[in-house]
Amino acid sequence: MSVEVFLNLVLNGVFEGVIIALGALGLTLVFGVARFPNAAAGDVMTIGAYAALGVQALAGGLAGGLVFMGGAAMAASALVAVAAHLAIFRKLAGRTAVALLVASIGLAFLLRCLIMLAVGHDQKVFAMPILRAIPIGPVRVAPTDLWILAAAAVLLAGSFALLHLTPIGRKMRAVADNPALARASGIDVDRVMLAMWVIFGALSGAAGLLLGVKTVVTPEMGWDLLLPAFAATILGSIGNPVGAVVGGVLMGVAQEVSTPFVGFTYKIGVGFLVMVLILLVRPQGLFARDADVR
Amino acid sequence: MDLGMMNRRRLMVSAGASALLLGLAGRGVWAQASDVFRIGALNPVTGAGSPYGTGMQKAILFAAQEVNAAGGAGGRKLEVVSEDSQTQPDAAVLAAKKLIEVNKVQAILGTWASGVSLAVLPITDAAGIPLMHCSGAPALSTERKGDLAWRFQATNTRFGKAFAEIAKKRGYKRAATMAFNNASGIGNTKGFADAWAAAGNKVVAEVVYEPKRPSYRSELQQILAAKPDVIVTGSYLPDTTIILKEWFQSGQKADWIIPGWAANSQLVDALGAEVTEGIISVDSVANETAPSYAAFAKRYKEATGQEADSNIYAAMTYDMTIVLALAMEAAGPGATVAQINSKIREVANPPGTAVGSFAEGKEKLKAGKINYEGASSRLDFDEFGDVNPDFLVSIIKGGKLTRDSVVSI
Repeated sequence: MSVEVFLNLVLNGVFEGVIIALGALGLTLVFGVARFPNAAAGDVMTIGAYAALGVQALAGGLAGGLVFMGGAAMAASALVAVAAHLAIFRKLAGRTAVALLVASIGLAFLLRCLIMLAVGHDQKVFAMPILRAIPIGPVRVAPTDLWILAAAAVLLAGSFALLHLTPIGRKMRAVADNPALARASGIDVDRVMLAMWVIFGALSGAAGLLLGVKTVVTPEMGWDLLLPAFAATILGSIGNPVGAVVGGVLMGVAQEVSTPFVGFTYKIGVGFLVMVLILLVRPQGLFARDADVR
Repeated sequence: MDLGMMNRRRLMVSAGASALLLGLAGRGVWAQASDVFRIGALNPVTGAGSPYGTGMQKAILFAAQEVNAAGGAGGRKLEVVSEDSQTQPDAAVLAAKKLIEVNKVQAILGTWASGVSLAVLPITDAAGIPLMHCSGAPALSTERKGDLAWRFQATNTRFGKAFAEIAKKRGYKRAATMAFNNASGIGNTKGFADAWAAAGNKVVAEVVYEPKRPSYRSELQQILAAKPDVIVTGSYLPDTTIILKEWFQSGQKADWIIPGWAANSQLVDALGAEVTEGIISVDSVANETAPSYAAFAKRYKEATGQEADSNIYAAMTYDMTIVLALAMEAAGPGATVAQINSKIREVANPPGTAVGSFAEGKEKLKAGKINYEGASSRLDFDEFGDVNPDFLVSIIKGGKLTRDSVVSI
């Protein structure tokens, strides 16, 4: 395997990993604070993508529209996430994680069917200009992929800053650690949960838009991303956005770099194998803080 | 002693009740069997086959209407139960089981993807009912037991041969293949590779890729590294969209031969005219000179508002219903499903009076043997229950699919 091929494979892995990471960002937040795996995360992403499509169709063309589309995607997904929280998840608050998971699966199907009812099941694409890749030394980089990487970096920076530099972020981390103690310390857990769902929705909406820009928009696009996103979340330690991104990129790179050895049909398994191996050594994930008392 | 009396009384009451129920039920079932023939329409309303599924289902419905309006077939009216296969084998199996066990259908029509048909075939075989499908996988010919599977589409091997014929005619020398990892995709490219090798050429690179990935850059990298002049695919619309987008971004020149269900107007809508310029799209062509096609096209336009040539699979499902109805008519009233199934070749294959509609066929059956010339193809089933349609080669020019030639193999 030549250096050129290897570097290109690594780059492919990074870009694919970033997509997985985007899905994992919102997921890790819900997993950490509300303490259940949210199977509707994918379909919340899909809703964001369709909302952005709607804005593009109305506004007719791009023209600074990317900001509007991003805003629309984040707003629509946040709205759906908050509605889901108020109508479903808050009512099941005391139950086991499995009950919440099952409820979220039902919500996922509901959202998907509503989308199909509203816009049909044909694939749709964002009207983006398709540009040639830029050769940088031995690798070729597509401009779209660079944009997505930049957007993912902004989202990651934003969620990291939110969690560590703002009061609401501190409160979220407190609730994630120990809800009862947080409540006893005077933190309004309900407001924190609400804030968390809004942020989850916004992150997922943006992720859906970026996924749709890179690929095609179909009603199943978010659901298909769910399994790798969960794996990345667990690999990077639940509740840690940096971990989610690192986990996603690691899985993506392992996947692509393995293709000369295992072929394209088995490469997906390699990503999960890497996750299993790392969990064997560090069961709490890559960014586990061993000293913490949970 | 009291208990003993109670038990005996209870026993008599329940025995009497069940005898009554059995009598009623038995009569009900018998009455149903002679009045109604239930068809399960299992089509890809969602998923990779969604451009065709709704039209396919509507075609079955209006074909059943046509049959019922002509007085039914073999003394029975057709009733259609519709389901969505989601173009996924697992969802299709659940739907097929529901159709057979709950709705008690006596035939399943219109499965589209090879993975779906391969998954449903053992279920319909076990239930002893015919499966009429539009799938290409060669395994469907070899896996059929009991002559119950009928293929209204060309096998992927035939598709591959057509691809090789086209590639040879256009003078390509370095061919590479990309196959979606399922029976259909691999069937296409293997059929191509075999025919290509038989003509003395080599395939310079081949890749089998996984479904539903967000990117296929690594797969394309391997293909493009071998510098092919034409890339032949066995693929579906969503993955073809992504692959072509990433190929265009790479800037390397290559021509493409893609099956018609992936290289259609939706692909052009997704990618634009520049990316899709010159793509060669190949699909089986409808039997366009036949009167049955004219009748079908008219009704399709009325039912869906779209042109009939956008959905050859709807022509196939229309034919499935008509052929089944003609077989029921030929088998006579009160025939079992097995008897009806055995009449299918009799009504569709030559020799016989050529007919182009159910009403015409019903009439001419009284005089002797008929040969239904279908809307989707002449419908002459071989020993595997496969048809042998012609192929239409279209080239995407300026954002439109323009007909180039017809290939017969």
